[in-house]
Amino acid sequence: MVTKESQFVRQLLMGLSIALAGVGLILGTILISQGGVWIKTGLRFITEAGAGFSLTWKLDGLTVFFLFILLLGQGLSSLYALGYLKEYEEKKKSLWSFYVNWFLFLGSMIGVLLANDGFTFLLTWEMMSLFSFFLVLYEHEDAQNRKSAYIYFVMTHVATVLLTTAVLFLYALTGSFSFEVWAGAVPSLSTIQLNLIFVAFFIGFGTKAGFVPFHIWLPYAHSAAPSPVSALMSGVMVKVALYLFIRLVWLTLGPGPVWWGWLFLLIGALSALVGILSASVQSDLKKLLAFSTIENVGILGMALGSAFLARSWNNAWAMDLAFAAFFWHSLQHMLFKSLLFMGAGNIIQATHTRNLERLGGLLKRMPKTGLAALIGIIGITALPPLGGFWGELMLFQSLWVNTFHLAGGWSKVILPLSIGILALVGGLSMATFVKWFGVSFLGQARSPVAERAKEAHPVQYIAPLIVGGLAVLGVLWPSATFALIDLPLSVLRSGDSVQIRSSLGMPLNLSSIYLILLILLTVIIVFLSKRGIHRVTATWNCGGPLTPSMQYTAGGLTNPIRVLFTKVLGSHRQVDGDYAGTRYSLRSLTYEGRIKEVFEDIFYRPTLRGLLWLSSQILKLQAGSIHLYLGYLLVTVVVVLILGR
Amino acid sequence: MDELFMILTRLLMGIGHLALFIVAAPLLQGFIKKSKAFWQMRQGPPILQPYRDLRKLMKKEELISEHASWIFLLTPRITLAATLMAVLVIPGVWGWAPLSVWGDLFLLGASLGLVRLFLTLSGLEGAGTFGGMGSSRELFLGLLTEPALLLGLIVLAFITDTTSLQGITSGLLSISPLYIPRILALVALVMVSITEMGRIPMDNPDTHLELTMIHEGMLIEYSGPSLALLNFAEQIKQLLLLVLLAQIIWPSGLISVSDGLLGMLLALGFAGAKVAALGFFFATVESLFVKRRLFRAPHYLATSTASAILALISLWIIRGQI
Repeated sequence: MVTKESQFVRQLLMGLSIALAGVGLILGTILISQGGVWIKTGLRFITEAGAGFSLTWKLDGLTVFFLFILLLGQGLSSLYALGYLKEYEEKKKSLWSFYVNWFLFLGSMIGVLLANDGFTFLLTWEMMSLFSFFLVLYEHEDAQNRKSAYIYFVMTHVATVLLTTAVLFLYALTGSFSFEVWAGAVPSLSTIQLNLIFVAFFIGFGTKAGFVPFHIWLPYAHSAAPSPVSALMSGVMVKVALYLFIRLVWLTLGPGPVWWGWLFLLIGALSALVGILSASVQSDLKKLLAFSTIENVGILGMALGSAFLARSWNNAWAMDLAFAAFFWHSLQHMLFKSLLFMGAGNIIQATHTRNLERLGGLLKRMPKTGLAALIGIIGITALPPLGGFWGELMLFQSLWVNTFHLAGGWSKVILPLSIGILALVGGLSMATFVKWFGVSFLGQARSPVAERAKEAHPVQYIAPLIVGGLAVLGVLWPSATFALIDLPLSVLRSGDSVQIRSSLGMPLNLSSIYLILLILLTVIIVFLSKRGIHRVTATWNCGGPLTPSMQYTAGGLTNPIRVLFTKVLGSHRQVDGDYAGTRYSLRSLTYEGRIKEVFEDIFYRPTLRGLLWLSSQILKLQAGSIHLYLGYLLVTVVVVLILGR
Repeated sequence: MDELFMILTRLLMGIGHLALFIVAAPLLQGFIKKSKAFWQMRQGPPILQPYRDLRKLMKKEELISEHASWIFLLTPRITLAATLMAVLVIPGVWGWAPLSVWGDLFLLGASLGLVRLFLTLSGLEGAGTFGGMGSSRELFLGLLTEPALLLGLIVLAFITDTTSLQGITSGLLSISPLYIPRILALVALVMVSITEMGRIPMDNPDTHLELTMIHEGMLIEYSGPSLALLNFAEQIKQLLLLVLLAQIIWPSGLISVSDGLLGMLLALGFAGAKVAALGFFFATVESLFVKRRLFRAPHYLATSTASAILALISLWIIRGQI
């Protein structure tokens, strides 16, 4: 049972986390409303770290925007964790490692956002990776989780190696770690140097953000972590990686050649498509959400790509639109993804399964979680009236404006095609989330655990409902979000900062009008059609009894997609029948469906094989003969003596 | 005071716009049924039958599955409301749309998307096989139609230099009807409309046979007023798609009060005739073809998408920009 003491510690620490987030948000709001030049130029702080090292920090409009996302995410997931962690106490699992890593993880993310030099950045970045790794590993009893955490650890370090190399390379070139010095030195760098640094940054941040093909760890790690941590990782940590694209690529290395923009656009489109295709065939509650994070990161990558292209083509209007879309969608995705992970967490605690095929009919047993989740799926599938749609609208328009103002060339075909891809992604994400919500919350329970499910602890449904409320508020009052988006834009735009809202004009005020009109119409229709007589009866089933197994399964619902995209998904199925004599009398039937990770086959296995081969070649140096080793020592000494002359 | 007057006028015009669609939608359905009956050499139901059906259903008792939740009853209401929201961006018989701002062509697809989301959720409500089958197929077709619909409209947006549907239709006035990109985009949109309306060769609106049904499959658990609302929403969707197509094929331009009552009535008659002709055309298509297998649908919709892409390429080639 839960002891008084541990309960007190949980409430104290999570309360502290919420309070810190709240204080941060209030302070931030006060600071923003004061205005001032610091939004554009930045406030600087220096911490002496001893031994001649100092850590430098900077707070400007761009940082403030992402801090806002972070603190909001922190507050909401801490509130959720307050209820969620109770289960671990009941299981007598020590929560200390969770608490410690929770605060350190949040702190290091704030550090990454504030860092203003390469050294500070690498330090906080590595801390962020490490503490999130510990959090993923929190449920280490499960071998599957250990494997997930291991994959995450390896991938994140491959990224760090590249980032460290790039940072040291820049240090060697400029003699300084400061971002500002780098930005000043960029024009004097050769194209090759610049492109090499860009590629290292792209892979490094892209791995953390979950760009395809570096996404392989994301579905494992985000789904293995406890749900509040998943919410933070998917909602906030990927945004931190995207923030660095703006800070270090856009502001420091930029403007860069045109192909950078194309790379963002194409990798973004690929990520969106691969992410959502993989999500649509998943039947694991949390893995599906993690794959959808890859999709949304892809959409954000496309927005960045559109912004880069617009800058190359001097198209200020398209750039504003692309950035407005980027920031708007970052905020909205944080809200909806946190919400959905909270919903998934509630389902998992109520049923102890993550398998969609064992759920069903939960809306009647967990009505409040269900309501929140419904808001979440409307938002995440980018449908009006909620916020997800308005971000995509701006992205569509940005791509359209970019295309329209181009003088000529095949770019005028490729850009609109990416609108088509976005539309396809939208359709796929609808299929994915109708499956996620419909199979778990609607219909009949598919297993006894789903039948016994109970509504979660009040805190656990209040938290997602607050998120849903915030999402609705954001649509009703778009000027609040736009006031927030003005902050980073004033940093990113050259010249005067423009009130983005007035330059975007009508359509965004439309978001509130649309919501109000839709609700009004619905209410009128409900009012006009309520004079009906209802009778609750059984579902018509051609006269036979209706069993839960007659419903469409999660796999069946999206099977057409699986069949159509067989090649892309590498799907494979095998049906074996056990027949008694003739094919018409069947004893049993086994069906096996598998989805392969295509990128594991075409990208990771060859790379891994190459690395192993390389290691086996290097192994030859280590022949095990003591004479040889003495010889190495001798050679080393000689070389060192010559070099150190 | 003037401003208030302006807002009130716009509001009244918007309500009038909606009312026109609401009143005319069942009539179009009746007309299409009659046209189909003509090709099948039957007499067919009277042209006003859809109104009577709706009235009859509204009065009936409603049966609700024991497994269904509140979403089941919310769906018909929100479906109708979202369809009406889509109507708001469609330039009506006088070439005027209540909501016309940049980007409203995306609003059309998204509003219809909201309809699809709720319909497919409700298909899963009854816990039966038929509803799930309908939902699964609808989601599949939905993801294939969306790119074709958007790309088709976007080509028109490039031709006319605006992303507002009202702007597109008035901009098309000055473009030759034989302009190749326009024709190709139109082909794409016509093919998409057939799918969106749930008609042969993609879906069969007349049967509840499990082999053919998509839209009807999702509605199978519905009865009484809810079914009436859903059918009504479907009829409005059909009308709005046909009005949009009619405005693209032969735009009437913006007609305002300054053209006089006669001018406005003429425009109404002209639009009615265009929509009726299109309705007859779709009835003919439906009589000539058979329904295709579900896994043939990707080919059909890929043709539509390809047509939109060709329209795009041909547009840039004609303008000498590639």
